[in-house]
Amino acid sequence: MSRVFTIALNTFKETIRDRILGVIVLFALAMIVGSVWLGAISLGQAGRMMQDFGLVAVTLFGLVVAVFVGASLVRKEIDKRTVFVLFSKPLGRSEFIVGKFLGLCATLFVVTMGMGVFLFLAVWYVGKSPAPDLLLACLLIYVQLVVVVAVTVLFSTVTSPTLASVLGVCVFIAGQLSSNVLSLTRLGHSPLVKAASWVVFVAVPNLSAVDIKAAVVGEQVSRPAALGLWVGYLAAYCVVVLLLASFVFKRKEF
Amino acid sequence: MRRPLALAALLVVCAAAVLVYQSTRPQASGADARIFVPSPRFYLDLSPSFRTSIADAYWLQTIQYYGEHLRSDGRFDSLWPMLDLVTTLSPHFKQAYFTGAFALIDAARPDLSYGLLRRGFEANPADWHFPAYLGFFAYRFANNKDKDRIAARWYAKAAALPGRPAYIPRLAAALLTRSGARDKAIAMWSGVYAEGDKYSREKAVKALSRLLATDPQQRAKELASVQTMMSPEVFFQLLEDLGVGSV
Repeated sequence: MSRVFTIALNTFKETIRDRILGVIVLFALAMIVGSVWLGAISLGQAGRMMQDFGLVAVTLFGLVVAVFVGASLVRKEIDKRTVFVLFSKPLGRSEFIVGKFLGLCATLFVVTMGMGVFLFLAVWYVGKSPAPDLLLACLLIYVQLVVVVAVTVLFSTVTSPTLASVLGVCVFIAGQLSSNVLSLTRLGHSPLVKAASWVVFVAVPNLSAVDIKAAVVGEQVSRPAALGLWVGYLAAYCVVVLLLASFVFKRKEF
Repeated sequence: MRRPLALAALLVVCAAAVLVYQSTRPQASGADARIFVPSPRFYLDLSPSFRTSIADAYWLQTIQYYGEHLRSDGRFDSLWPMLDLVTTLSPHFKQAYFTGAFALIDAARPDLSYGLLRRGFEANPADWHFPAYLGFFAYRFANNKDKDRIAARWYAKAAALPGRPAYIPRLAAALLTRSGARDKAIAMWSGVYAEGDKYSREKAVKALSRLLATDPQQRAKELASVQTMMSPEVFFQLLEDLGVGSV
């Protein structure tokens, strides 16, 4: 456990110092500040615009961090040959994968919640009252991104970082459309299409289930009990994906 | 020494070219009143998690579109599809209904204004603004002889909702009186009396005096139906104010 923690801590320190991360966060903060201007041209809807577009910024920039950093996490160690030094020590490959994953999750938490708190303060600063669900929405965006990190780490063990990034983005998009896939399973006439849709529906993480961005602008009521269950579902999904990633990584020849 | 100077000169020339060209380019000609607005279904199916953000983006575009055409050609061909998109993607975005309803009046489509507000009321049944606006739109823009009755019905609905201001029941009662719905008007004015301040009570007494029979016995009998709407003390005060206290 302490070995996993050491890897996670090092990954956190390494990724948090990354200049690219700083640039991405600066862009996100600029976009949140920019939404103040959007609010000014929205006929008295400044609070709504800031929160809505701010959460989109948190999601998209968080996704960029999750996918691009997640995809190069393992590859970087292999390319720099540091992986040989690590594996000459009493460290399992699955411990390495889990440590890397947890380290990036910690970085992502700092980034996502940092942006969320900044957004909260920005809304409050312009004289609007932030929605009570605003920080919860950021936390749930983080939960979605954690799943994307897990999937990207899995892809990065079997393919190049670029392809892993693209696939990570695809999983994020597919995860937002999970309910549509379910409707395909109901509407399709061909049993083959129905079966294929069902497989896709089960395999793709249902990320939209924990999305409460709409609740922040008063569109739907978030249900904490159901949300808790969905977060549990996504946590179990991450465990499955990480086990798969460890399994693949154990068989990898360097 | 020459090279940095040449580079600085190149920078100044290029920056000046960019600024001058951009600032002197002809202003965009009058925008087309018919613009492509996708079906709300498209966004609901393809981006359920971002539907309110898309609604907000279209809301900003709707404001721009409305302002641009209000100042230029006065054509609003795409205003309704845009408002339909915004309110379908974000059914609780109240400002879109209210502003949209007034904007559609400029597009000479009060029927769509009315429809938009009705849809808003269905999505937000606890908000008194919707029936109040519906009452106003029915009274101001309807073209039939029943408009007082329809407006009164909406104001009566608004009066029954929490948070409405004190003038709404008075407005509802006045319109019910005008539309000839005597019994409903008596009930509404009695409600105004029961809940209202001194000014409202004076108005209610004046209106009830005109609506009720002049014979004190008959008047007292007609008032019996509103007895349950108020406490016994208030009811006796109303009888007193209407000059039937002794009956």
